[in-house]
Amino acid sequence: MQSPTRAPLRTVAEWDLRAWTALLVCALLVYMPTAAYAAKDQPPERPLPPEVFKPLDEALQKSYLELFDEASKLEFTPQQIEKMRQYLKDSRSYCRRLWAGKIDQWEKELRAAQAELRSRTRTLKEAQRKQYHCKIQNLRLQIHNGRMLRQQAIPTAYENRLAKLDLIEKWPAEEKQIRAEIASGAYTQRKYGDVLDIGFRDVGRGQEQDVKVGRDAIREMKLAGLMPPEVKNEVVRRYVTDLARKIARNSDLRVPVQVTVLNSKEINAFALPGGFLFVQRGLLEAVEDESQLAGVIAHETAHAAARHGHRLMKRATISSIIYQAAQVAALIFTGGAASIGLYYALQYGFYGLGMILSLDLLGVSRDLELEADQLGVQYAWKAGYDPTGFIRFFDKMATQEGYVRGLSWFRTHPPFYQRMVHAKREIMFLPEKKGLIRNTDAFDRMKKALKEVTAKAEEEEQDRPSLLAPETGCPKPQMPEMKPGKRRVETVCNIPID
Amino acid sequence: MQHPHRLIALAAVAAALSLAGPAAAREVSLYVTVEKDGKLIGGLTEKNFRLYEDGESRPFRLAEPETPASIALLVEYSRASWPYFNDILRSIEGFFEEAPEGHWYALATFSNDLNVRVDFTKLRGRISQAFTDLPPPMWSEINTYDAVYEMLDRMSRLKGRRVLIVIGSGLDTMSSHTLGDVKRMAERANVVVYGVGVGSMFRGMWEPYLTTTARMDLTMAQAFFQMLADRTGGDAWFPRFEAAFRDVMEGIMQSLAFQYRIVYDSQVPEDGKFHKIRLEAFQVTDDRRIDFRVRVRQGWRR
Repeated sequence: MQSPTRAPLRTVAEWDLRAWTALLVCALLVYMPTAAYAAKDQPPERPLPPEVFKPLDEALQKSYLELFDEASKLEFTPQQIEKMRQYLKDSRSYCRRLWAGKIDQWEKELRAAQAELRSRTRTLKEAQRKQYHCKIQNLRLQIHNGRMLRQQAIPTAYENRLAKLDLIEKWPAEEKQIRAEIASGAYTQRKYGDVLDIGFRDVGRGQEQDVKVGRDAIREMKLAGLMPPEVKNEVVRRYVTDLARKIARNSDLRVPVQVTVLNSKEINAFALPGGFLFVQRGLLEAVEDESQLAGVIAHETAHAAARHGHRLMKRATISSIIYQAAQVAALIFTGGAASIGLYYALQYGFYGLGMILSLDLLGVSRDLELEADQLGVQYAWKAGYDPTGFIRFFDKMATQEGYVRGLSWFRTHPPFYQRMVHAKREIMFLPEKKGLIRNTDAFDRMKKALKEVTAKAEEEEQDRPSLLAPETGCPKPQMPEMKPGKRRVETVCNIPID
Repeated sequence: MQHPHRLIALAAVAAALSLAGPAAAREVSLYVTVEKDGKLIGGLTEKNFRLYEDGESRPFRLAEPETPASIALLVEYSRASWPYFNDILRSIEGFFEEAPEGHWYALATFSNDLNVRVDFTKLRGRISQAFTDLPPPMWSEINTYDAVYEMLDRMSRLKGRRVLIVIGSGLDTMSSHTLGDVKRMAERANVVVYGVGVGSMFRGMWEPYLTTTARMDLTMAQAFFQMLADRTGGDAWFPRFEAAFRDVMEGIMQSLAFQYRIVYDSQVPEDGKFHKIRLEAFQVTDDRRIDFRVRVRQGWRR
């Protein structure tokens, strides 16, 4: 029997085009992912010479109000701005990749620690067990914080930076346009342009019908256990109520405003239909002067006055929504809906600065937010407050605290640039008024009283059990420190700064 | 003296024993539910109980239950849970309506791994809110043993009264922990576990078509919840109809409201072994002793 003959191996010199192509494809398949990974692993190169990069970078650290004043004096070419924009986008991608890598690493370490604990669990002494528990707990905390940074903090920080870049580029032209509108008197024709008639114009017809709806909503929320406890301190309550009433008197709200101060650390305020306003303790802690708080309360009053809740609302109760949740379960399991929370939002006219519901899914909330910004600025101005308080508070949240504490504040709102320009534009259209208030002694007294409330709440918080950190007495995990006012996002991403 | 070395050895052992002394006493809290014919019995005093640890009678006292309690909901949330998802929703809805104010509540879900959705809060509405905001489940695994083990482990380190309510099928697909691991953790953690078995109706519909292996899996799933309840002094339910899930939650909350707290100093050594606890509850009326059914953890590991 003859054995099968094997084709002789070809030497390199004999390779045809097909063989060379195969070799090339193989090499590319091996090299490309490695090369791409290696390329991604470096912070992006600065695209501009230092004499351009440095002043532009410094300008981006300024507040929105400063930039509104200075943008027309800055001399950067569209190409330089475009290169900076690309650099910021690349930095954002790099930063997120960097944190994705860290989270992956911690997850691996966590799994390894858990496996080791499991294999040794029966022989461990209490002290050794505690060491493992602390290690696992800290890794979990690091992963949790890392995810917060990657998914929320880093994008928010860069969105703020990109918005300021947009402002440098587009504001000079926008400002010219606004000044032209003022000169021609065209600005009086804008929607809600009749600011001298606030309180007498046709805004939110039928507000009185909302009172019962709002009252029902509050009852439902309390029954459902969704309402945080109220702040009992009389100084704080009286101050916030007086301020809200003052703004309501100078607004288009024609139903009495009813104010509740909630003892919750969230930086938030929200309005229910019918003039029910809820201000959370965290917001009172975060504002720096009375005009900032007035700006936020005026924004919420605008939601109630313009009946924004009504526009989104259909008659329903919380319990019937839960019933409906079962009906939409099929959608969820087939990936047809983002979450059942959408149904809460559809059924309930619930508005707030940092809404707990994903109203942005409706696609209509952005217009309503811009409308509330416009009306809010008008109400704060009419009540005698510096209307820039709203912009300053927004800036503080976005620049200093936004990506640490007040993340929900930005989740459902229009792009930063659009929002800031919209508010500034309205401020420019407002008639000049002297003696606008920025701060009062009453505000300082409220802040003093609030310290006691906060201290007591923090004491109670310490007794709160936790599933995330149940082991006590563990050394704190190493996490990048983010000091207010510093350019933290570069710090946490190892991007060199001057 | 023929064997002085023996005496020296004996003396050394005696000295070691006297140095070590008896095991340091440790205060143990037992949460006890007392029933008669399915009705909860309240108003009993210390003289209505007898406590035995490893067969020996122990002195004890009745104490006020620790408040607020830490009550965690552990919910199966997997793609495979879809056929009985309504049962899960009904349970959450029942919890939402029956949970009293003032306690700490937390929510965790599991499929292939455990996810803490809401850490302890007094706003119980956050639980239902978080549940309705959940993204679609990613995985089809139901790793019940891993999830229960990890929750018990985390809760074992909390102070005060701890309650775990597990809502799920009891099935397990790919856990790395074994049934034995979970059993030992349940004995060590001192967490009262209530199991709410879902999918009974779905199971009933398909019963005639099941293979023997599938039947065994389902029996094991039920037995798992029962084991947890028996070991920890909780209870297990397997309602057949959706409407009954709300009643189950009402039952759990009533049970918690009627529980006694028995405190005693345990002398058992720190040997990691299981030490049996037996508690009798009775009432003597007209020289006739009426015994009650007692639900309390079966023992503990030190």
